[in-house]
Order: sequence, then C-alpha cells, then structure tokens
Amino acid sequence: MSNIPQDLKYTVEHEWTKMDGNIVTIGITDFAQGSLGDIVFVELPEVGRELNLNDAFGVVESIKSVSDLYSPLSGVVVEINEELTGAPELLNSGPYDSWMIKLKVSNNNELTNLLSPEQYKTHLENN
Amino acid sequence: MKKTSLYQKHVDLNAKMMDFAGFAMPIQYTSVKEEALAVRNKAGVFDVSHMGEFIVEGNDAIKFVDFLITNDFLNAPMHKAIYSPLCREDGTVIDDLIAYKIHHDRILICVNASNIEKDWKWISSQTDHFDITLNDRSDYYSLLALQGPESEKLLSKMGILKNPNLPYYSALEINFMNERIILARTGYTGEDGFEIFSSAKVATLIWDELLGLGVTPCGLASRDVLRLEVCYPLYGHELNDELTPLDSGLKWTVKMDKKDFLGKESLSVYSPKYRLIKLSLDRGIPRESYPVLDGNENPIGKVTSGTMSVTTGKGIALALVEKAKFPADKELFIEIRNKNYKANYHTKPFITGGHK
Repeated sequence: MSNIPQDLKYTVEHEWTKMDGNIVTIGITDFAQGSLGDIVFVELPEVGRELNLNDAFGVVESIKSVSDLYSPLSGVVVEINEELTGAPELLNSGPYDSWMIKLKVSNNNELTNLLSPEQYKTHLENN
Repeated sequence: MKKTSLYQKHVDLNAKMMDFAGFAMPIQYTSVKEEALAVRNKAGVFDVSHMGEFIVEGNDAIKFVDFLITNDFLNAPMHKAIYSPLCREDGTVIDDLIAYKIHHDRILICVNASNIEKDWKWISSQTDHFDITLNDRSDYYSLLALQGPESEKLLSKMGILKNPNLPYYSALEINFMNERIILARTGYTGEDGFEIFSSAKVATLIWDELLGLGVTPCGLASRDVLRLEVCYPLYGHELNDELTPLDSGLKWTVKMDKKDFLGKESLSVYSPKYRLIKLSLDRGIPRESYPVLDGNENPIGKVTSGTMSVTTGKGIALALVEKAKFPADKELFIEIRNKNYKANYHTKPFITGGHK
C-alpha cells in the first residue's frame, strides 16, 4: 500500500502539495514513483516561469517511460529542486522529501480542487 | 488475450502485465534496472513463450530454410543457430528469425510473436518443389530464456546442460523429464545464455527451480534495454515491412554468393535509402520517433529505439537516417521536447556482452 502522509494535499495526477503561506511545494506521490519504477531523468522549469493550472511544467522519465508533470495550481515558479536533476533516483527513495518545485500561488480559489489524504486514498482504490 | 503457460506465476510474483503481440506478458517484476543488471552480472530468466516456433521436417529441410532466408544456412555446421532476416521477393523484411539446425532433416525456426501469422502464411506458400512438412508448434512450445554469466553453471547443476562446451549460437535436442526438449545457446541480451523450448509442464518445473536457485525473473522491459545496449534490432522498430535488411545494418546477414534465396534478385541491385546508426547522449534520454538532426539542425531521420542504458547510465538510441543526408562530419543532434541535444556517434555497440 502506498504511503499517503496526512499533512499534504493531492491531485488525481498523483502529485502532492504542501502549502506554506502563499508558497506551495509540489512533488510526486509514493504511488507515482512506484508506478514509474526506476526514475532516471527529471526536467524542471526555469525559476520565474508563470504556470497556469494544468500547464505541463516538467518531465519525469523512468527507464522505459516519459511522463509529463502538470501544475496543480496557477502561480510563479520561485524555486526548483536542482538536486533532483543530478540524482533523479531520490524520487524513488523519498518521494515526499524530494520536492520538485515551489510556486507562489496566484489563485487561491484553485486550492479547493486539491484532494485530502482520504480523497486521494479513495482515488487510488478506485483506479 | 493469450496467456503463456507461466501466466499465473507472473501474476503471483506481482509482475506488471501488459499486452504484447496479443499475449499478456510480464513487463517487469520489481525493477527494470535490477532485472537488467542481474542478467549482465549473474543470471536472469525470461518467459518468452509468446515467440513462434515452426518445425521444418523432411529431406529438403535444410535446402528449404536456406532458400527462405538471406543468411547462409546450407553451409552452417550441424546444430548451428543462424540469425537471419526473412524477405519478400522485393527484398523487404517480413521478419527476423533464428533457424536452428537440430538434425539434417529437422529445423526449428523461431519467429517474433507479432509476426507468427504473417510468417506462417508466407513460409507455407513457399513449400512447392521441396520435400518437407511444415508445422506451426507455437501453441505447444513454452520458451524460457536463461541469460547471464552464471547460466552455464546453473543449467549444469540442474542436469539440463550435459556438455558445457556447447558453442554459443548452437542447439541440441535432448531428453529431460521424459521429454524431448530443445536446448539452444542463444538469446537477445548479448550475454551468455540459453533458450529452452519445451512443453508447458517442463517449462514450469524449470522456471520454479531457477527461481529457487536465486535466478532473477526478468520482464520484457529489461529485455528491451539489454538488447538495445548491444544494438540488436527489434522488428517493428529497426525492421519493418517497408525496409530491406540493407537499410537496417544487416548487410552481414545477406549472402549474395548463395545460389538462390527469396529476395536475392531485388537485393542484388538495391541501393539502401537508410542507414541504421548508434547514438548516445550525455544528458537526456532518446525515445522512439524523436527527430535526428545534422550539424545544421536539419532533420535527417528518427530514433527507432531509445532508452536509458542501465549499464552505462547514458541515454542510448538506434536511429534510421536517410543515407543521402548523413553528414560526413557525423555531427548529430537528437530533438527532445523542442530542444536539440548533441549526440555521440558510435561505431560499436554501447556495451560488449559477455557471450562466448
């Protein structure tokens, strides 16, 4: 069973988010890393890039697959986890420690789209 | 969807299953990387029972197979396995296969699962003037591929391999568990290894025993990475109905000095349109259908297979480029998501497998 920390919010695309003031930290869930398998490549956006809801902001690749990452919220990229570019396997070993980007959120209304841990758990069970 | 005789074993091992050529096949069990490295360093076992098996029997068996394929089968020593394209009269590739000279009057042809029907139709339409009978035994044979440096030791221990000097790329029909099985020292990984053609019952026993001895079960994903690291072509990627073997780097398998074979006339005057090249990237992973560009960033072809190499840690690819556009300076780029990445041109496979 996948690990779903209680203090985070989730998306149906298997991303996790953590709010801190108006800054949201985004990563991929334990379920996502497990389904992808050995992650060998991560591409992240430039700091300063403006993202709309559901914009593709990066790519994560396993040995055999390529997956786009979609922004769960609108905002401006304020920081990226550069460590991941050199060590993408960190996403497998610690998906909740290895965040990908931090966004300055521009539309608080979108926060209601995010799933609670319980909702995400149900989503996993139904898929 | 068809199931192999080991289907339930894969499900019980929690393998990720996927449709491949109409079969529910294990793609990976735990980790593609661990599975591929097990084959490079120790031993791994693949269920490749989806592959097709045709048996040619009769006085003209060798002559018939020699006529079918572009490679030389007539002069191959007894028990030898010969890799070859199977071509139409116009030189295009129907499939690539391995023909095993089991006896002078008994030949096993192993073909790709995705092409069984097409191959059968073609091969069975060519039998006039040959004293042979042809049987499709694809449903009978299960096929296990034990691959990796420890394979010889393991099969000796199990009493299957009696003569460890069985040369690479050869095959014997032997008795095992009161059954005639075919033991071939072949594979698709570049490592030493064996392929065992047997009944479902014997395959299940061998599978269980190998896993009991600590052999890693390996899925089709690791198999694809392994074959790409040693630059073996895969039908549907580097080979297809529109290409000739001369477009896909297989000139060495087309023996023009043979008296006659299907496709000879066309291939003898054909000038290849494409060139199959080997590329690696220092950063980024090439994938199938990504554009290949020359030094002026003009498109000259496409990646046919690409992956991250688990052995070298680099992105590697095979690509088909237009021969006329291939740049003499070999300055090449692969376009990934609208960005061009400088590619390293390789004249040799990315790694040298350890096969004998």
